Amino acid sequence: MDYTKQIQEIASKLFAEDKIDIFIGFRKNSFDDNQVPTLISDPKDISKLVFTSKSVFNLANYLKNEHTRNKRLGLVVKGCDSRSLNLLLTENQIKREKLYIIGICCEGVVDQTGEKMQNCLECVVPDPVVYDELIGNPSGKKDYKVNVDITGLSGKSLVERREFFEGIFENCIRCNACRQSCPLCYCAKCCLDQETSTLYSGSNTTSSAFHALMTWSLHLAGRCVDCRNCEKACPSHLPLHLLHKQNESVIFENFQKHLAGVIPDDRGAFYKFDLKDPDDFIM
Amino acid sequence: MEAEVKEKIISIEKPEIVAPENWQPVIIGILCNWCSYAGSDLTGTSRIQYPPNIRIIRVPCSSRVDPWFIIKSLQATADGVLISGCHPGDCHYISGNYFARRRFLVTKKLLNMVGFHENRVQFSWVSAAEGPKFAKVVAKVTDDIKKLGPLHLYKKENFDK
Repeated sequence: MDYTKQIQEIASKLFAEDKIDIFIGFRKNSFDDNQVPTLISDPKDISKLVFTSKSVFNLANYLKNEHTRNKRLGLVVKGCDSRSLNLLLTENQIKREKLYIIGICCEGVVDQTGEKMQNCLECVVPDPVVYDELIGNPSGKKDYKVNVDITGLSGKSLVERREFFEGIFENCIRCNACRQSCPLCYCAKCCLDQETSTLYSGSNTTSSAFHALMTWSLHLAGRCVDCRNCEKACPSHLPLHLLHKQNESVIFENFQKHLAGVIPDDRGAFYKFDLKDPDDFIM
Repeated sequence: MEAEVKEKIISIEKPEIVAPENWQPVIIGILCNWCSYAGSDLTGTSRIQYPPNIRIIRVPCSSRVDPWFIIKSLQATADGVLISGCHPGDCHYISGNYFARRRFLVTKKLLNMVGFHENRVQFSWVSAAEGPKFAKVVAKVTDDIKKLGPLHLYKKENFDK
């Protein structure tokens, strides 16, 4: 998967026609093979743009940035990124007319070891759902399967699961990088930052990490698109996808096979209801 | 006279923790203002006994309950949480409890995933006329949590020192 040439052509065309102010794409690191997101406002820098299977990050995250607010933007999206973009549009966070979206039919991206990322192996929507221009050959929608980690964990006993997750919460340093890197966490004042709350108090105890990660994942339940920006940003390399995948599979099984951001104008699972939702767990 | 031998109550999540003598669970009850809170009031005015382990918080609607109310209760002092609202179709705000129902299911499953017994957090629909039902629900929840033992997971005071 190498679309560097096409993206450079489109970007220079957009700048020449004065359609955008800023182009959001990827450039190569100066010190290794990996790529970082970059904001280009000068047509001279277009030659820096690249797009290969190492373009892992979700660029929709940069739409909530103060540098990009109220600007005309061009950006590159993969399948999962376009789902989060779709949710940002439905939740009125960005305006569609200010965006020029280049959709990439994604064949999966690789992690730092060069292996295909796990969420790409389980990807349900590899083709972009919202775009102005499409690059690559669409491969169609795939069947949803419950994550192997989730099925493995639910087979374990209560005490084993408690020990496993205690290890995760223990290693969290409460840096909030997961929240910052999440394209769907756009609240100006996040509930995890409240200074008056004595339970958070900025401390990095296991207790406060439990509270923060659980609250965070439940606020994203029904909206998380499994782009794993949070996991890529986590300095402690915590498997944060377990919390999201668990919510996602429960929502998929119980609420009419809901998948976040796949259908335009479809809001998160918690913004709607059905009279036949499961009720058997309530006394 | 034979001395009564009491069975030790062991925490189900952490088997190494044994409850102290005469341990009583702390249960946080989050009740909707229009149905369950009025229902609990009826239980009192009808002079029906129910376990005093429950501490009641009144909220405008069951959909006011953000999942972190539950998490915060469990992290603070509670051994269990009971959330109660209007029956489906009876919501004062028309559809609040339908939204809440979805959130409760996901919250319950996630808490179970990270190692809380599924009976730690329970939900019920109690209407304003169901005083006896409220007493029954509280008795059942208290009984369940007494069997599960004290909750010693992620408690704030264990980490403050």
